[in-house]
Amino acid sequence: MAEGLTKRYGDFTAVDGINLTVKRGEIYGLLGPNGAGKTTTVRMLTTLTQITSGNAWVNGYSVREEPLLVKRSIGLVPDVSNLYDELTVEENLLFAARLYNAPIERVRELIREFDLPANKKFGKLSSGFKRRTTIAAALVHRPEVLFMDEPTTALDVSSARNVRNLIRLLNKEGITVFITTHNMIDAESLPHRIGIIKEGKIIAEGKGRELKELMGKGMVVKLLVEPITSKLINEIEAYSPTFDEGFIVVTVEDVDEFLEELFDLKMRLGFKVKRISTELPTIEDVFVELTERNGCSCGGCPL
Amino acid sequence: MKILVIAEKELKEYILKPGSISWGIIFPLVFTLAFAVRFGDVDHLAPGLMSISILFGTTSFVSSSIIFERRLRTFERLLVAPVKRVEIVGAKILVGTLFGLFVGAVSFLILRLFMAYRVWNPLLLITFMFVSGTAFSGLALWVSLRVENPINAMTWLNLIRLPMIFTSGAIVSLLLFPHWFIVVGLITPMTYAVDGMRYAMLGYYDVINPIYDLLVTVLLSMLFTYLSVEELRRLY
Repeated sequence: MAEGLTKRYGDFTAVDGINLTVKRGEIYGLLGPNGAGKTTTVRMLTTLTQITSGNAWVNGYSVREEPLLVKRSIGLVPDVSNLYDELTVEENLLFAARLYNAPIERVRELIREFDLPANKKFGKLSSGFKRRTTIAAALVHRPEVLFMDEPTTALDVSSARNVRNLIRLLNKEGITVFITTHNMIDAESLPHRIGIIKEGKIIAEGKGRELKELMGKGMVVKLLVEPITSKLINEIEAYSPTFDEGFIVVTVEDVDEFLEELFDLKMRLGFKVKRISTELPTIEDVFVELTERNGCSCGGCPL
Repeated sequence: MKILVIAEKELKEYILKPGSISWGIIFPLVFTLAFAVRFGDVDHLAPGLMSISILFGTTSFVSSSIIFERRLRTFERLLVAPVKRVEIVGAKILVGTLFGLFVGAVSFLILRLFMAYRVWNPLLLITFMFVSGTAFSGLALWVSLRVENPINAMTWLNLIRLPMIFTSGAIVSLLLFPHWFIVVGLITPMTYAVDGMRYAMLGYYDVINPIYDLLVTVLLSMLFTYLSVEELRRLY
């Protein structure tokens, strides 16, 4: 639980008084664009960064007043692994076990469960095995809360899927999981609840279904038109269009009405409609809608 | 004791690595040999040369290990575990000191070939080598944690280390300088290490009573340990 959690670096506020509650046994996903404050939030919750103001409680312990008790009850899987390249997988896990006074049998158990190459140096492992070993090291003391910062970043499709399955399995075993991500597959498939963070503030929170309802009862329409002119964009300004790999993406309440308007525009402006598709909104649509509502932040718009 | 757990990991991680070999064997070997061959009778010079070897060995080792660990973010492995900051600092200083003892021993073995006298008090010499190592390691750790850009740590360390070679009397006895320069020597941490090791090896000292040498070096070790712990508290 966090109350008014704030982190300032000089004049810059990285996390701006966020409040959030994660229920025991759930997977909570913190979504946000780069630089939104996700990692800083995790670093504060895991005692790695000092809190400027506010406080947070993890597993009932105050991050500010009881950091050692917080550390005993959490595991952290950072976006960049914190294990030692020069040590073998087994040595890394043994070191972690000794730091937490965990039994050595636990190391053997994890090596077996995670199917890890015990005698291979950590630095020589593939990205997928590195991530699995880092997760194993974070679980050596059987933490009650597992923090994972961008758990599938830099993994190939198959390794990312394995990690997602692993997270679900760990959660089924009773571990509360807090993940940060900007990967929409993770966001769509993993968390029970999602918080969307932008410029250090939580701008929306809820179950995936609840967030999708924020988009109204509408549909997402993707258009591929040529040419995309500023006149066209001005005409559909009311739909808050965004851009995705050359497509214009809008969310509409009434598809028929929008199509009529579009073809009317086509006659007047003379553009070609090359493709149209309609979809139910996804978490990605919610994310884009909420994080880019006040001006596009993708940096890749065609205009 | 988590200090020993962390120290053991550090030894496994860094032993026989290129940096350890260059600062642990090649540097003291070449540096000491050059002076020994040039001057022949090196008895008076030996404590200074050993101090310089320990200074450069410990500070380079501690500084580079902390810089790499912070850059690779493996340092956070320690910070996220239920380990007190003083234990992390203690482990870093302990490993730096052990490395310093090894570097000092390499330097001593070369010097022994050219020395006319036997070491006056070997146990006291090891004691001074140990406390000097802890003071120098603590200094390096504090400086390396303090700099914003870790790459600048070496620059700052050189700004501290190089003048100390001169002002500590490691090469040229402080007694050969005017009175005011001795005062400069007295505010140089390394002076106490050089003077104490000189007493342990030769049975006489240049400037300070060896009891004070030992006391000041131990106090400096404690001071740098404290400053490093506080720096960690500020950073994380």
